[in-house]
Amino acid sequence: MTDAQAAPLSSNDRVMRSVWIAAIAGVIALVLVALTAVAIGAVRISLADVMRALGGVGEPSVLAIVRDLRLPRVLLAGCVGAGLAVSGGALQGTLRNPLAEPYLLGVSGGAAVGAVLLMGLGISSASLLTFGAFAGAAVATILVTAIARVVGGSGDTRLLLMAGVVVGAFANAAILVALADAPPERLRGALWWMMGSASDATWPSVGRASIAVGVLGALLLWWARDLDVLVLGDEPAAALGVNVDSASRRMFLVASWLAAATVAAAGLIGFVGLVVPNLARALGAHRHRPMMLLSAIYGALLLIAADLLARTLRAPAELPLGAVTALIGVPFFLMRLRKLAT
Amino acid sequence: MTSAPALKFENVSVRYPGRVPLALASVSLQARSGMITAVVGPNGSGKSSLIRALLRRVPLQQGTIRIGDRTLEAIVPREFARLAAVVPQREEPAQPLRVSEFVALGRHARRSAFGAMGVSDRRAVDAAMQRAGVQDTAHRRTDELSGGEWQRVRIARALAQETSVLVLDEPTAFLDIAHEMSVFELLDALARDGQTVLLVSHQLNLVARFASHIVLLHEGHVAASGTADDVMRGEILERVYDWPLVVTRDPAVGAPALLPLRGRGVRATSSSASTRSAPEPR
Amino acid sequence: MRFRARVDRCRHLLLLLLFAACARAADTAGTADSAARPSAGSTSASANDATPADTDDFGVPLPRDARFAARVVSLNPTATEVIFAIGAQSRLVGRSRWDEYPDDVQSIVPLGDGIKPNVEAVLGVRPTLVILYATAENRAAAEALRRAGVRVIALRVDHIAQFMQLCTRLGVALNAADRAQVVADSVQRTLDRVRDAMRGVTPVPVVWPLWQSPVMVVGAGSYLDELLEIAGGRNVFHDMSAPSPPVSIEEIAKRDPAVVIASRQSAAALRASSIWSAVAAVRANRIVIDDPAITGRPSVVLGMAAVSLARALHPERAGALR
Repeated sequence: MTDAQAAPLSSNDRVMRSVWIAAIAGVIALVLVALTAVAIGAVRISLADVMRALGGVGEPSVLAIVRDLRLPRVLLAGCVGAGLAVSGGALQGTLRNPLAEPYLLGVSGGAAVGAVLLMGLGISSASLLTFGAFAGAAVATILVTAIARVVGGSGDTRLLLMAGVVVGAFANAAILVALADAPPERLRGALWWMMGSASDATWPSVGRASIAVGVLGALLLWWARDLDVLVLGDEPAAALGVNVDSASRRMFLVASWLAAATVAAAGLIGFVGLVVPNLARALGAHRHRPMMLLSAIYGALLLIAADLLARTLRAPAELPLGAVTALIGVPFFLMRLRKLAT
Repeated sequence: MTSAPALKFENVSVRYPGRVPLALASVSLQARSGMITAVVGPNGSGKSSLIRALLRRVPLQQGTIRIGDRTLEAIVPREFARLAAVVPQREEPAQPLRVSEFVALGRHARRSAFGAMGVSDRRAVDAAMQRAGVQDTAHRRTDELSGGEWQRVRIARALAQETSVLVLDEPTAFLDIAHEMSVFELLDALARDGQTVLLVSHQLNLVARFASHIVLLHEGHVAASGTADDVMRGEILERVYDWPLVVTRDPAVGAPALLPLRGRGVRATSSSASTRSAPEPR
Repeated sequence: MRFRARVDRCRHLLLLLLFAACARAADTAGTADSAARPSAGSTSASANDATPADTDDFGVPLPRDARFAARVVSLNPTATEVIFAIGAQSRLVGRSRWDEYPDDVQSIVPLGDGIKPNVEAVLGVRPTLVILYATAENRAAAEALRRAGVRVIALRVDHIAQFMQLCTRLGVALNAADRAQVVADSVQRTLDRVRDAMRGVTPVPVVWPLWQSPVMVVGAGSYLDELLEIAGGRNVFHDMSAPSPPVSIEEIAKRDPAVVIASRQSAAALRASSIWSAVAAVRANRIVIDDPAITGRPSVVLGMAAVSLARALHPERAGALR
């Protein structure tokens, strides 16, 4: 009896230990990369001056650059990266598909429609555009669950996936139509918005994004154990005591809204929600709570690094953040595919 | 000794959305504690629909399902998982977990959203793995298990739920003789310990040996129910399975055994007894 | 309401800058356009041109027959305004919907966009001559119109010298060469006066942001860069050849301009913005207000634009200028 008790405990401990190591390493790397990102920029500021500026001491231009330009930007990138990764992890669990990504499911299309519509009305205020993007994405995801329900009569996850693809495609078409007739500056503004960027980060926008990501992310982490069960299939999950339809629906909605909050804050950034949860699983975190926590750490790390590259690779021009994450994501993804195939 | 039925289907009818014929038409059956109740029948007879109805994956057109004296509608899914453990036929190969973690999922309905595994949880998991005979695989990953081990690990998970009712849908599909027998013997032992075991299976011969009560389904109706001797009759089975067969009694085992014949086969020459002389050579 | 107004005011300016940007992109893709890049400080239109004065910006010879100027459609805002300035508007039977100046232009029928125009709509007013914006995307439309028997002139203005050229070419095509020369000369004289008034002055380093999301500033590819130079300023982004390159605010802070030029509404947004406070000029409120109605287009108002910039940058010197 004691042997049987000892064996499962130690194997669990082994798994948990590797996850803990990955988590701690991730946090350390995150702090280092964040500091690097705050210390590097177009204006050369010594590390000592950066540290002092973070503490509130220094000449006004240095203070302004470090605290009002770089720091919000790094924080926003971290917040958005964490949100995207957690959202991706939850969606992959809900849809039982390691290739699920928020952008497959109408979220990005809906957000872009919301923002572009507001831009068409001449609105360029950042906070209003954020709200419009979030509203558009929220409406799109509700539409997706409604379509899946009407068509299938249950929370069948394949229906959610297909409805998401359909709504997303429709939204993309709507954006193209809206932009086909647009004056050139609106076209440029819309394209820029859609390409993804952390360059408009201000403290208020960081605050909004943190609250949204924090609340919605916490909800998903709270429900993480249900995901462990949902992933087994509709029947086993029902057998183990989960209300499958309602659980799938609420996971899908909250995960999509979390992605919507990131789109509203920083435009369309792909691959983070796809790649980072797979990375977390590769590091040994298969149960959803540790997987999503690890994803949050590495998602933040990835996006801060990507933002740093976006503004230094071709200085003084800035690359769109979405392009950099794709450049990082594609090779990683190919490696993963090769590993899966063997 | 008969006790009150722990699991009861009363006049249950089920229709899948978009399909005209009823998958189950006014099916009534009862499963009592202390014995194995088996549901058998050809493909498409509605066996799995019973399980789906129990899991509420398909709505009831009519009828009720009861657990004890409570109706299913009055029980939320979480509580249902504390009363009855269901091992469905199909399960997706999800992310690999350690077997001990996988079996621990059976405690889901008893754990809060955040609490760690308590002492009672750990004890239930260990006991379940012992009972199912998979304690040696505890540290292995679920994607490294053989078919037989995987089935028994799933049964262990159901046992970890610590319920008085156990429902299994085709638990011995893809298992070899040894594993099949060990599963049936496990179920037999559980039943004798007081569990209510409801088993859906196509393995008529094993069912005949182990189940005390058999329900034969045919195109959504109950074609026969009762003991093995009541149900395992040549004319009933031939009609239901639409295939020539012969039912013998194996002296080593003492239960009826079914032998399917080659097609376009021999018609029954006597319908009174369930035994038959040696089949005519073809 | 305010947003709408701000977008309206910027629209014309950005339209032209974007036209120019697209055109430049198309050029570098290897088209046969041979738009001139005049050096700073040129006084005569023809002196530094790469294309001869009797062809348009696509290299097609200009029509000299006055009959072709009977019914004119202008899908080029600068050309439209110049046509009014030389008094030939009676021949205009159509314009692009982006043509806004002068006010009388509202009486001319709008026929759609100037880039990738609706050829059918244009042919519907039976023109004999169509003036297009010279960009690679309009080559197909030019071909289609020519096949329909309509004369086509393709012109564009990225720089001041090209404006002078446009006046000359329009004068030739519309058989109003003298009046066109008057317009060109008047603008040139004003520019020369400003340049003379600013002789010997220390150029003020300037940044001129044109758009917020992304932050786009005036670059060397824009006539605004030339106007700044004439008006005694120095564009800190003169090293970037695009007309309106996107840059980061930190880059602006790094180049430390003495002055930021912005419209009235943009100025308020700049002062209120926390991220712009990284630029010393914004912190010290050294924001020069400009009027996009004058500086927003490289057209007959170029001279006035130079005057207003000079007065803003060097009030002590430019006081005498009108």
